[in-house]
Amino acid sequence: MTFERTRLVFAREVRDQLRDRRTLFMIFVVPLLLYPLLGVGFFQMAQFMREKPSRVLVVGVRELDRAPRLFDEDGFDAGLFVSEDGVNLLEVTFAPSSRRSGRPEPAESREAAWRAVESGSYDAALYFPPNFAQQLDAFRQVLRNRQSPDHRAGGVNAPDDASLEVNLAVPSPEIVHSTAVETSQIAYARLAAVLRRWTDQVGDDNLAVGGLPPSAARPFSLHSADVAYETPQRGAARWSKILPLMLVLWAMTGAFYPAVDLCAGEKERGTMETLLCSPALRSEIVMGKLLTIMLFSAATALLNVLSVGLTGAVVLSQIEGFGAPPLYAVFWLGAALLPVAALFSALCLALAAFARSTKEGQYYLMPLMFITMPLSVLPMAPGVELTLGNALIPVTGMVLLLRSVLEGHYWQAFQFAPPVIAVTFTCCLLAVRWAVEQFNSEGVLFGESERFDLAAWLKRLVRNRRPTPTAAAAVACGVLILLARFFLGTTLETPGAFPAFVRSVLITQVVIIAGPALLLCLLLTSSPRQTLLLRRPVTWWTVPAAGLLALLLHPTMNVLQRVVMHLYPVSENMREALVPVERMFAEAPFWPLVLVIALVPAVCEELAFRGFMLTGFLRPGGKWRAIAYTAVFFGLAHGVLQQSLIACLVGVVIGFIAIQSGSLVPAVVYHFLNNGLAVAGSRITPDTLDRFPALAAMLSGGPAQGYAFHGQIVTAGVFAACVLLVWFARLSSTRSFEMTFCGTVPRRLAEEG
Amino acid sequence: MIYVDQLAKHYDDLKLGRVVAVAGVSFRASPGQVYGLLGPNGAGKTTTLRILSTLLKPTGGTATVNGYDVVDQAAEVRREIGFMSAGTAVYDRMTGWEMVEYFGRLHGIPHDELRDRMEALFTRLKMHDTRNVLGAKMSTGMKQRVSIARAIVHDPPVLIFDEATAGLDVLVARALLQTVAELRDHGKCILFSTHIMREAEKLCDRIAIVHRGHILAEGTLAELRDRYREHDLEELFFRLISEHNATHSPPAGTAASAA
Repeated sequence: MTFERTRLVFAREVRDQLRDRRTLFMIFVVPLLLYPLLGVGFFQMAQFMREKPSRVLVVGVRELDRAPRLFDEDGFDAGLFVSEDGVNLLEVTFAPSSRRSGRPEPAESREAAWRAVESGSYDAALYFPPNFAQQLDAFRQVLRNRQSPDHRAGGVNAPDDASLEVNLAVPSPEIVHSTAVETSQIAYARLAAVLRRWTDQVGDDNLAVGGLPPSAARPFSLHSADVAYETPQRGAARWSKILPLMLVLWAMTGAFYPAVDLCAGEKERGTMETLLCSPALRSEIVMGKLLTIMLFSAATALLNVLSVGLTGAVVLSQIEGFGAPPLYAVFWLGAALLPVAALFSALCLALAAFARSTKEGQYYLMPLMFITMPLSVLPMAPGVELTLGNALIPVTGMVLLLRSVLEGHYWQAFQFAPPVIAVTFTCCLLAVRWAVEQFNSEGVLFGESERFDLAAWLKRLVRNRRPTPTAAAAVACGVLILLARFFLGTTLETPGAFPAFVRSVLITQVVIIAGPALLLCLLLTSSPRQTLLLRRPVTWWTVPAAGLLALLLHPTMNVLQRVVMHLYPVSENMREALVPVERMFAEAPFWPLVLVIALVPAVCEELAFRGFMLTGFLRPGGKWRAIAYTAVFFGLAHGVLQQSLIACLVGVVIGFIAIQSGSLVPAVVYHFLNNGLAVAGSRITPDTLDRFPALAAMLSGGPAQGYAFHGQIVTAGVFAACVLLVWFARLSSTRSFEMTFCGTVPRRLAEEG
Repeated sequence: MIYVDQLAKHYDDLKLGRVVAVAGVSFRASPGQVYGLLGPNGAGKTTTLRILSTLLKPTGGTATVNGYDVVDQAAEVRREIGFMSAGTAVYDRMTGWEMVEYFGRLHGIPHDELRDRMEALFTRLKMHDTRNVLGAKMSTGMKQRVSIARAIVHDPPVLIFDEATAGLDVLVARALLQTVAELRDHGKCILFSTHIMREAEKLCDRIAIVHRGHILAEGTLAELRDRYREHDLEELFFRLISEHNATHSPPAGTAASAA
């Protein structure tokens, strides 16, 4: 790759984009105009935004004229509102019978209140049950009587405690409202606030009647002290939630449109073909285009953030507690801009290269948005902080890191910056590699934009069956398993007893996992034996070697499991849900448990993942790609995040064993021992260690915190496993066409041969 | 010189299954010669030319361009060829001068030399009117001339024209054919695909009649007439295709849809 040709492609693309009015509009005009206009609009709108009064119907109230007053002639008593404006926000209508004293309340008055709100005639209704006023008066009278000298002297008319209890039962008024209507919810909140104040006043009066000061019920009140009382600090905290999110979203948007134009647009115009015929290498073309997209992505994000910051400084700084964004934010956002822009540019470039037309390219924005949005918004959820686990999540880690820096938590940011940068850099590299692959793919570059016809595709797959499945069939199998696991898995009850657990595992493994793979194998391939790798391995030594490898890697897997659980701790709810399952495991007989947890999944999952899917993914070539895809599906099929991460890693090892040995047998053995050792590990007790001193020497910890292998054991295991993996790597399986295909033999010669 | 031996290309299509776009074609084109690939749409012409331009990889056979293998020495091949695709593929937001300069610089031509070469080229192809006009505002004739200039700015020994006259009006097409003839006279080895008989008759020194990925007949126009005792190329073309269709029933998946 030469710098000169990359620079040439870059310069041309930049010039091309700068001559495109749409790009200029998106990058320069939108940020420069949008936010100031929104700011001006905000002020303009604020003039017209008056709080609308809530219509309230009062039903069933009798004379409540005693102090404290609830109503005056027109509505609620003005003394119950914090501000004078509040009085006008509740438009009170009294139901016809409400003020007619001395007559019984109509029986249907509660229903009338209900109907009034339900029909939308009123936003809310306040319903007083029959005898509310009398009961309240009676209650007060009881209190007065208790204070009388007669009562204190224990006279004949003094009420006993039982009659006091009866008299204390004042029926509760009811606010009728609808949570489905926003105005009703507002009316409810306003009414509730007024009634709360009135209830407090009633309480204070009652205390006074009882001869007690108001402070008897509330001897103290709570005061709050905000250490971030200064506006800049509070402002920074608020901006720290907005600016990183904006940076990420605009970096993505700014990358996407140039990417579509530079790739899909160039294909559409026919210029891609001439460019690919030039001496410029694909990597040079990709790099030139990537740098262009990065430039525009960074410019879009920066201009938007600056514009929103400046607008915010003018508009939002006038809102209490929302100061202007701190100036140092620009520095930190600028520092994060490069990796963020690089990540989205590479992703957009790969997606756009995959698209065959501008229109098709624009469709791909949606999936990218769907993935990016939750990752960007996740840090805004309460309780989500910058931890190692979160730092390892792409995009989320970067947003959290920026938030941390903007809030002034520099030490925390410094600690987690390396993992965030490492993850972002890795994602960038993978995305660039994907983009280069797209530029090397004939199907992507020159494929016709044909309509996908599922029926035709399936018909062809069944009619023209080949010995092994296609990559598309492997994906279909994976999706089918995931869907079946989601829909059928949720219908399975959480097993409470071991027999139910056995049933559940058998259904999951046989019907949900192995079932789709075997069905597709019979339907779509002509050689199930070859597809499912049901052959002799290249050497039978691979079988004990796979078992030994599982044994050697067990301490490492144990450590990784602890690391994963530390990074992504299981929620309290999940922990509680797992308690009966763990208890059941502890009480279940050992060997049947091994059979169910180790042997059944080892067979069923291997048939599906290392059998059907791995063979399918091997068809287009690329051993490691096939292993990675299979491992990802294997991980996803495990459902729970913590389990999925470990399963993904295990999937890589088993995939490698299966390919190198050319058989499913060593893979099954590895899987069986991997799961079996996990079951055995869960059964270790102090008694076990007493019986096996050698095992005790390898482990530390105790039954409460769990047992863990000593560091030396883990290191030794890793070293020995590496030696074994090198031995596996040196095996060459030439048993299938696919194995030859993805190996060292060039594609053309392989086909000719 | 172009040397093609048993070149084959097949790919998987969603509906048709395995499609054989090129079924083992062999031919040889020499310097100072226009070699015509004459065939209907879907014959496999474009696929063959794309393989020779290193855009596609063959699934069988070999091909060399000026001594370089199209698979193993793709970078060298790209330096030796000028490729002009069907349609006037020009950048909408670049002027004629910028476009030709861009490709010249991609070929590593020194700045001063490139400027001199471009001045000569613009004069020779009478395209000074395209100098400061953006691609989007060019007429079809202007675009065509810019495309030719872009393809030959680095003075390649081999030129590949893929249906270069498709969609052009008579005047522009005629001018293009004249340019191709001039380039031949300058000793270039030219591969020219077309489905227009008159163009093949008029321009090509050797003609290969291609159908469904096969070469049905190959030779000079005179040789073809003698061999098949048919004076009219169009008649000969239809006869060969009819005979081929009669002897090879078209099973699904054998039509070269990429061409």
